[in-house]
Amino acid sequence: MEWLERYRDLIPDFDGFRAVQSQALPSSCRINTLKIERCALLDRFAENGIDYQSFNWYPLGLKLDMESPGKLVENLSGFIHIQEELSMVPPLVLDPQPGELVLDLCASPGSKTCQISQMMKNLGRVIANEPSLARIAPLRSNCERLGVMNVAITRYDGRRFPSRPVQFDRVLVDAPCSSEGRERRGPGVLCKSSSKRSMDLHRLQADLLRNAIRLTKPGGIVVYSTCTYAPEENELVIESVLETARLERISIPGLLACPGITEWGGINLNHEVEKTARYYPHLNDTGGFFVAKLIKNQEYI
Amino acid sequence: MSPSSSRTRNIFEPLDTSFVADLWGERFGIPSSAFAGFTFFRKANSVWAANEAILPRLSYEAIGMRIMNLKDRPWKPTTSALQVFGRHATRNLIHLDSANSRSFMEGKTLAIESDSESGYVVVFYRGEVLGCGLYSHGKLVSQIPKERRMASSKNGAEESADQNAKDEVASEMPIDMR
Repeated sequence: MEWLERYRDLIPDFDGFRAVQSQALPSSCRINTLKIERCALLDRFAENGIDYQSFNWYPLGLKLDMESPGKLVENLSGFIHIQEELSMVPPLVLDPQPGELVLDLCASPGSKTCQISQMMKNLGRVIANEPSLARIAPLRSNCERLGVMNVAITRYDGRRFPSRPVQFDRVLVDAPCSSEGRERRGPGVLCKSSSKRSMDLHRLQADLLRNAIRLTKPGGIVVYSTCTYAPEENELVIESVLETARLERISIPGLLACPGITEWGGINLNHEVEKTARYYPHLNDTGGFFVAKLIKNQEYI
Repeated sequence: MSPSSSRTRNIFEPLDTSFVADLWGERFGIPSSAFAGFTFFRKANSVWAANEAILPRLSYEAIGMRIMNLKDRPWKPTTSALQVFGRHATRNLIHLDSANSRSFMEGKTLAIESDSESGYVVVFYRGEVLGCGLYSHGKLVSQIPKERRMASSKNGAEESADQNAKDEVASEMPIDMR
């Protein structure tokens, strides 16, 4: 927990931020519209006496006041998917359209992949890439349970995902990170945190994002997200690609965000990174997240 | 389908829609129109289905959904696939009541009288496909995959009795199906 002290000047109401770390994260789920309409699912919940509260920023997201929501028959049957509230943000920012060709570069366990698939109404193609063989099974299992038909799974190192034969309309890079924003899900993630670890991850993340931009059509959209507060893994990664893509500001009505930071460790960053979004756990009663939306430059092939 | 093709090379090979439509039509009375808009692949002994759309030339671990296993006779549909295509079934289907549907979702074996032929059936509850069952001589064995089963409401002793019943039916199957 002491590690978080380095963010004291960066996070608003830092004491409130520290206080919320010890409170367990509320359970939440996404309604899987590939299998059921929202109103039909809510009828089922009412009939089975399941309490829920809709997110005020996303009608398909529900907070569930219960333990082990994964055991709900609605989850086992694929009508809902247990997914953290903020994990539903990157697909919304990506805004995939039916019929497009979309790449999810770091896909497993596939919560965002399946959300992208449902936003595309099972049309077009989503390539879900996951380098780890052990993580392919949960990715496949989630896709099949949720009735996803437009996803194909590959297993490349994301830094070397082949740039031929096609370019993608949109690419999501939900990068491996130090996961500091997941502390509320189970204490312990912070004990591994260090500047060196974040800088090692920075190199991997920057390589992934660079390749993602290469894989995108000129004018196409790349969304980069992490669940950490570390600027090395967030704004500093974004800053490294600003010659090939420009940032677009993110705004989700009903969800409080802070702008990206423009100074870290005594060094000023490109002011553009202020257009990225930082989500803090005490502002929305969620985990922590960082999201950036990039548009690939037209002249960059 | 030559025997040496995909089985030995372990890659996804395009498969005619008619291959799938014929088998599903024969067993479940599903019209071939139900498979329009989908494209099919075979990899070793499994058949996969995906929507019709661009598929870049890449090396794939999975394409769409695994819908059938051809390894044993009879071929076996997956629960996921029945949840997509099974609602069009007109034969070899069983509708359960509330109590039985719960037991089925727990992975149990049920005593059910049905005019279904022995073999795999589409199991419904309130007009919704629950998944795949194996029916034979008044017994319905749930084929719901382990990770998608509801927690059992019964105690351990009855659990193992269920397991025995399941093994019993399973061992009968090849003879019945011959």
